[in-house]
Amino acid sequence: MQQHEIRHFVERYFRANECAILEANDEYMTVQLTVEMDKELMNRPFYWHYIERTGGTPQPMQLTLITKPTEKTKTLQGERLHFGSPRLHQIFRSAQKRGSFIRLYEEPDAFQHKHVPLHPWLGLNVKISYQCDRKKDQILSLGLHLIGGTIIESFHERLQKRKLTPKIPDYCFTISPLIKPKSGIGRLEQYIRSRIAADDHTWAEKAKERWKEDLALLDHFYEGIEEKPECYYIEKEALEQQYKPRIIVSVINGGIFYLLPRS
Amino acid sequence: MLDIEMDETWKEEFIERFEKDGPWASWEMYQLALEAAMHLSVPEFDGLQAPKHLPHLTPLPHQLEVARQVVENMNGKAILADEVGLGKTIEAGLILKEYMIRGLVKKVLILVPASLVSQWVKELNEKFFIPAVQQKKSYVWEQCDVVVSSLDTAKKSPHREIIYKQQYDMVIIDEAHKLKNNKTKNYEFVQNLKKKFCLLLTATPIQNRIEEIFNLVSLLKPGHLGNAEYFAKTYGKTRSLQTNEHLKALVNKVMIRNRRADTGIEWSKRHVEPVLIEFTKEERELYEAVQALKHDGELLFGSQFSLITMLREACSSREALFLTVKNMMDKYEGDVPDSFHKLMEKINAVTTNSKAEKALELIRSINDKVIIFTEYRATQLYLQWFLKQHGISSVPFRGGFKRGKKDWMKELFKNHAQVFIATEAGGEGINLQFCRHVINYDLPWNPMRLEQRIGRVHRLGQTDDVYIYNFAVKNTVEEHILTLLYEKIRLFERVIGELDDILAKMNFANLERYLQDALVHSRSEGEMKIKMENITAMIELADQLAKGGEQYAAT
Repeated sequence: MQQHEIRHFVERYFRANECAILEANDEYMTVQLTVEMDKELMNRPFYWHYIERTGGTPQPMQLTLITKPTEKTKTLQGERLHFGSPRLHQIFRSAQKRGSFIRLYEEPDAFQHKHVPLHPWLGLNVKISYQCDRKKDQILSLGLHLIGGTIIESFHERLQKRKLTPKIPDYCFTISPLIKPKSGIGRLEQYIRSRIAADDHTWAEKAKERWKEDLALLDHFYEGIEEKPECYYIEKEALEQQYKPRIIVSVINGGIFYLLPRS
Repeated sequence: MLDIEMDETWKEEFIERFEKDGPWASWEMYQLALEAAMHLSVPEFDGLQAPKHLPHLTPLPHQLEVARQVVENMNGKAILADEVGLGKTIEAGLILKEYMIRGLVKKVLILVPASLVSQWVKELNEKFFIPAVQQKKSYVWEQCDVVVSSLDTAKKSPHREIIYKQQYDMVIIDEAHKLKNNKTKNYEFVQNLKKKFCLLLTATPIQNRIEEIFNLVSLLKPGHLGNAEYFAKTYGKTRSLQTNEHLKALVNKVMIRNRRADTGIEWSKRHVEPVLIEFTKEERELYEAVQALKHDGELLFGSQFSLITMLREACSSREALFLTVKNMMDKYEGDVPDSFHKLMEKINAVTTNSKAEKALELIRSINDKVIIFTEYRATQLYLQWFLKQHGISSVPFRGGFKRGKKDWMKELFKNHAQVFIATEAGGEGINLQFCRHVINYDLPWNPMRLEQRIGRVHRLGQTDDVYIYNFAVKNTVEEHILTLLYEKIRLFERVIGELDDILAKMNFANLERYLQDALVHSRSEGEMKIKMENITAMIELADQLAKGGEQYAAT
């Protein structure tokens, strides 16, 4: 992640959370936090507890984030922001927490006179992790048409090309899903499973080999000992945790999207 | 087919929100959440992610290579055995960071010498943004993910029991050569830890006996070198790692060792100067009185070890000797022999300390920060007093200090004092790159210990040349040691690291025994000379063997 991307990301994050940007330039930005964001990011529960108990006037903090250190930024009371910095990761976590569930409607381009139906879609962004003593992730964005059952990939990319709004637009009406969200999620899970099954899993085979090798060494180490000491079992369990191949599917976010039918 | 673990929590909450019609995120927030996940996901098994997260840290090429090797080829279990001062902490930090970024490691236990605890905490937090916590209260073990503690604290009740209940994803142990003996409590403690990934850090892995390497490797990866019986049968006769190519290859699968010479880094120079000191008449008489005790026979001591210790103490300070003699007198059952009383008289007769005078002269002429290493606490106290008498501020440092005090002392030295006086136990694990003058007030017999001492100042980050002054009193055991170890084997002219090979070849425990034999048991100067010559020849042979081994390995 480049510095300008970080800068852009953070600015959008604060704007989305209704914080006023007091100063913004190439080098740094100063943000006036809202009460909610102060509680979210500044980790000062005692202050907020005190204010709420005494009925005092809350004074949420300002935050200065430096994305391009210069001579000038040295004089500022600010935090350096870069890809590894704890603040950025805190903001990442906060964004993920606050952006988990959604419902949106597509807005028709031109002014419509007649009523337009919007079709329900279930959108799901998932991370698939292959994990043994090594790990790799893959992100998949899926959409399921809750009427016809069609599943499409790169769903998020498609959504980005459309005009979406949180309130149902005028002259639009939604069609109720034929597939209930719960079973919709089930269908998408099934789709993910078969997609994973079709993938190449030599990584897991290799991990099992490494596991087997180390297990054989361990057994040899305690060979001929009638009653194995506890550390044998501890080590054995540790080897399982180290090497056992696992596939973990975690949901990043998702929701219901009512979209205009396309031909 | 492999099991797939599906996220259930999102599903449940979504259905609840769907039924209640909200609350829903904004489109922007939703997109930001996905973008954050994309930035955090790691699309490849190979390669290092950590450097991208640490833009202000510029790891050296050999450090990055170590991290890559450990993650890609060693399955996260390794002995990091770089020479002193090459940045093993950085390597360990990189590896830990890599696993944490990839989400493979969460719960971490880091065991280091007490004097290094706060330094590790600081480095992990500041250089690696790893929220490491110093273990101070017992709830820390359970509640914090990355805990740094000393091995001594961790192995004691009630900590030990709490630690055993934790599932560690990674265990890191600094100064791991302390785990070479599998009969010790330390060893047993570490053996019973649950460790998915494990890093053992040591600068001196191969000066030791072959069994010690077996023990260290077996802690990391039991069975890698076979079981005890198999190992004894196969390699029992092997005297060192270098002489058996097969064993060396096996060990290299779990151990990475960089040498200064291989790193291609320009190191600041070391200047080494032997400083010979002449005793005063009274000091000489005292030294000879101690030597004369030899004739009183072993009745007095039970072992010859005490005599050699006393000789060395006499070379250090009368205070150091006084404590030992007083202890012996207190413990002596029955009437204390006359020789002791005479010795006490001689101690009282000494009014000056020639070595201390020399040190003072040197410190004044250096006119910069100086570290003095001594083996004796009494000498340490005396020196502090002595320097103060002459208007020089100093800071004492011992292994026994509590962590906070150690840090405080280091800071005091850095900001307020000219001299830092450390005992042997303080030599390990404190970094003092801001100083470049070291006085070895008395010399350790084990050259590796000397290397550890010098490593405190001559390490990565030292930009200036380093000056080492080795003190020895003329016509004493010290001069013999100086001549032997530091002139005959030309210790300081060698490429650092060669020393390891030589010591590995000749087995240091034996060397120490030979030295004692030569210095104490010799009936005449002549006999002693011959014995010392023999030891020299032995070292030279080991040297040749070590060089031969290198050539063999290179072809």
